[in-house]
Amino acid sequence: MATEKNIYHIGKPLAAMDDDVLRPIEAFPTKLWWGAFGVSAALALLGVGTIIYAFIVGLGIFALNNPVGWGFMIVNFVFWVGIGHAGTLISAILYLFRQKWRTSINRAAEAMTIFAVIVAAIFPLIHVGRPWFVFWTFPYPNERGPLWANFRSPLLWDLFAIATYFSVSLIFWYMGLVPDFATLRDRFERYKAKSKIGNFLLKVKAVAYRVLALGWVGSAKTWQHYEKMVMLLSALATPLVLSVHTIVSFDFATSVIPGWHATIFPPYFVAGAIYSGFAMVLTLMIITREVFKLKEYITLKHLENMAIVILVTGMMVSFAYTTEFVMAAYSASHNEQYAFINRLKGPFAWAFWIMFTCNVVSPHFMWFKKLRTNVKALFAISIVVNIGMWFERFVIVVISLHRDYLPSSWDSYDPTWADYAVLIGSFGIFFTLFLMFIRTIPTIALAEVKADETNSQLSHH
Amino acid sequence: MLSIAEIKRGLFSYEEASRGFVAVVKSAADLLKAAEKAKEANVKSFDCYSPCPIHGMDTAMGIHRSWIPVITFLGGLLGAVLGLSYITFIDVFNWPIIYGGKPYFSWPAYVPLLFELAIYFASFFTVFAVIGLGGLWKINRKPPVEGITSDVFAIWFGDATLQKADVERILSGLSVEIKEIQ
Repeated sequence: MATEKNIYHIGKPLAAMDDDVLRPIEAFPTKLWWGAFGVSAALALLGVGTIIYAFIVGLGIFALNNPVGWGFMIVNFVFWVGIGHAGTLISAILYLFRQKWRTSINRAAEAMTIFAVIVAAIFPLIHVGRPWFVFWTFPYPNERGPLWANFRSPLLWDLFAIATYFSVSLIFWYMGLVPDFATLRDRFERYKAKSKIGNFLLKVKAVAYRVLALGWVGSAKTWQHYEKMVMLLSALATPLVLSVHTIVSFDFATSVIPGWHATIFPPYFVAGAIYSGFAMVLTLMIITREVFKLKEYITLKHLENMAIVILVTGMMVSFAYTTEFVMAAYSASHNEQYAFINRLKGPFAWAFWIMFTCNVVSPHFMWFKKLRTNVKALFAISIVVNIGMWFERFVIVVISLHRDYLPSSWDSYDPTWADYAVLIGSFGIFFTLFLMFIRTIPTIALAEVKADETNSQLSHH
Repeated sequence: MLSIAEIKRGLFSYEEASRGFVAVVKSAADLLKAAEKAKEANVKSFDCYSPCPIHGMDTAMGIHRSWIPVITFLGGLLGAVLGLSYITFIDVFNWPIIYGGKPYFSWPAYVPLLFELAIYFASFFTVFAVIGLGGLWKINRKPPVEGITSDVFAIWFGDATLQKADVERILSGLSVEIKEIQ
């Protein structure tokens, strides 16, 4: 087992780790960063512009129609919430299972979670049509009756689940950052003392990191409370992360629409969320380690481990797809059976087969060690998986809605320019936030990497 | 049995390193040894400083285990109780409406909400407890020696009865660099 541990051993002096990890924050951004930021920000502007336009003229610019009342907005919402699951899974569940390899990827994965949840939260806001009334969903004493929220509705549970998940992920992430912000604070304090001319930006950064570091001095008595806190927040976040997509699946499963009304939905959604989330972490980690020269910290072994998680969850998702068909066949309900035949052969069969190819076939490439350790192959598969997972939500939402009980009410669904603009824009917002993150916040949990190095040396003595 | 004084000691053990002596040691292993020596010498107030948590430091320093889990539990309980009381007030007393033929007080439907509220309160209680007990709101603090947040390991003695020679005697056998803080 000793060799197992050494795979993640970096073997560098602690101060050198500071230099490696904090370089992207202290150096002037590269052209590559500016290029990526420019493209992402442009796409984000397209998305935000379309959303503002939708708020002005109304939801008519989207392709929603009578049977398909949930369109791209709900597809995108479920997709992004799903992406937001991997971060907490890595930081909490893998922490509880003492998986050492999580240390160097958990920070970026948690950041990804927070940005994905922010992006996801935009879509219900658009979907309600009149976002300026969205505060009505909060049960506070009011002058409208009082008009309270319905506590028996899964849509309200969803609001609570997403709000709790976002807040808890945010404080978990922030508290994890405090010791690293203290490292940055002390470094910027030194730079400020060195530079004779008053550099305004340097002063602003020094003040910002001072405030964010919360007076952290590295006392053992504080570390003791702090470590207990990390353990407790992990223990709290583990059921929380599983509850979030469970409750998102309740939005569908508690309805009576054929194709939605299924008891397999909660575990099926959670497995799908972990699957797509890990694919997104893989995409981002491959980019980060290449661009910021962090290959000693995010090694091939890390990528391989993530590939194995994708393989396992991919098979769980495939199993859920099969179960859905078997349950429909066995249900003795014509509507349920038709819903699944319509997936295979209906007008949106292409979407089903894209989903099937991407999600059921592609993870099986991960059986081969050669492909698991090939960065280009991993990058390609991670993107294919995310395309597949977007189509999974499209299949669930649109195919189930466009033909339900009454053939006279059947209709099609034809996304408009605005639907596509908001979808593309959501990626723009996500990547803009992520690029700003890697320029201002340590991408690798320095204190945790140092703890692993220091404590593994202690056990050698 | 637990005494109030013991709970207080466990909760409010943190002290500012504003005076006394600070000794920089070579490594995390040396810091553990230094903490053991300080404990054995019965130094009243001392603390260790490191860039990362060190396994076994609690026992080496002889500090009480953290009370954070109790605070977390109380927070979670408070969240669930407050949530249930509020929902009951609304659904049973303030505006009773029958939804889908279910009773006014339909507790199974409240479980997801109470679960989320319990986790929300527990998490925030935990974080605010750490901020409060470690005095982390004092943002203008500085580590007692430079480099603690990078790669320096140090031990601080705040006991007013100690002189520099006493600190040297306590830490004899370790290669240290002792500084006085005013």
